[in-house]
Amino acid sequence: MASHLTDKLERDLSVGTAWLVVLAAVARAEEPIHGYEIARQLTDEAPEGLSFKQGTLYPMLRTMESEGLVRSTLVPSTEGPARKCFTLTPEGRRVLSAWSATWRDTSRWVNRIVGGIDGLR
Amino acid sequence: MDSADTNRTDGDIRRYLAELDLALAGADAALRHDAIIDAEAHLRAATKGGATAARAIAEFGTPAEIARAYCESGAATQTRSEDIAAAVDGKAAPDAAAPAAPRTGFAAIPVVGIWAQPAAWGALLYFGAVGFVLATVYFTWTVAVGGTALGLMPVLVGIPLLVLLLGSARALCLFEGKVVEALLRVRMPRRVQPVEGADSVGFWTRIGCWLRDVRSWLSLAYLLGNFPVSVAMFAVTVSLAAAGTLLVATPVLWALGVPVAHVEGVEGEVQFLWNRVTPDANGDVWVPAGMVVPSLLAGLALLTATLWLARGMGWVYGHVVQAIQVARPQPVPRIYR
Repeated sequence: MASHLTDKLERDLSVGTAWLVVLAAVARAEEPIHGYEIARQLTDEAPEGLSFKQGTLYPMLRTMESEGLVRSTLVPSTEGPARKCFTLTPEGRRVLSAWSATWRDTSRWVNRIVGGIDGLR
Repeated sequence: MDSADTNRTDGDIRRYLAELDLALAGADAALRHDAIIDAEAHLRAATKGGATAARAIAEFGTPAEIARAYCESGAATQTRSEDIAAAVDGKAAPDAAAPAAPRTGFAAIPVVGIWAQPAAWGALLYFGAVGFVLATVYFTWTVAVGGTALGLMPVLVGIPLLVLLLGSARALCLFEGKVVEALLRVRMPRRVQPVEGADSVGFWTRIGCWLRDVRSWLSLAYLLGNFPVSVAMFAVTVSLAAAGTLLVATPVLWALGVPVAHVEGVEGEVQFLWNRVTPDANGDVWVPAGMVVPSLLAGLALLTATLWLARGMGWVYGHVVQAIQVARPQPVPRIYR
């Protein structure tokens, strides 16, 4: 197999799922969450070997905000300048719900197909 | 962390920010500004949280990766709404990282395509109405408060008024940025860059930072200098748009049997385009049949030129406001921290 294809799936999946996991991270936070905290959580929970570049999160959040999926507020911080914290909007909730359903269907389908090659080595 | 570690961390972060700025060379100034302050805030938060600068930078991403992410997000924002709608509705979505689609259809036609460009109509609205009203309000406020502050300076009451004026100038300039972004389609930074170190100093030092911050004085200069330019642009835009509209409307007036103008106390002929026209006994000016089509064409040409002028001025205006907002403030001197 061509060596450049080895990590193709990881790259493609990372691009495809980034918006979903970031929206989910904002949704599950009990209070407005700032970018650094989202980045830290995603890095901590990433599987071994998966490279998630924290810096790519910020342009994503800005785009999500301009699309009305998340809303930001400036929250004063005792450790530095005010932090921009994010919450999900009703539109963001609707989109997340649709994407989650798509993800569940896709992963079920992929698992079914990939399960069929477990014996191949 | 001792002083040497702090200096090393600070140096590493500054070096990374310089490399990121270099990687973003050629990108929109507001986008570069956003990328730099996002990176700086993140890296400082990470190092304050105990991570070494090297680890924080490695987890953040290389300058090239981050620059690519910002440029792709900037280009994809325009098509993102369609992507989301398509994805939620279960339809195929276009490539998220694809650059903004080039103009198609009527908007792609040279010269006359300007009629289908929202930025040109936004600029016409800005220079012909919104910008003029706002510039008048800004100028009135600045002159009233500034004049009072200068007058009361000898009794010291003028100093807080000057601080109020500078604060309001910054806020008004930020508001102007929102208006400019909406109408003139020039991207503004999404967040004001904080003055480094200002969070850890007292009230008076913070006021001192405001006074030293180049953005305060640039904003004040904008509010004052914008007024005469806005008045001139308002006069030019409205005159050209009114003249163009009248010329375009001439065939309709001619068909309806309505005079194109009414003059009183004018002896002899009046000029209409390159023709001399004699008003009738009542002072009504009637366009000769042979002038109807040339008038329509001249009107369309004049309105097209007006749209181009508005769009060009809009680009210049937008970038002046953007330059004020992306100006990097000086950090608070270490002796105060």
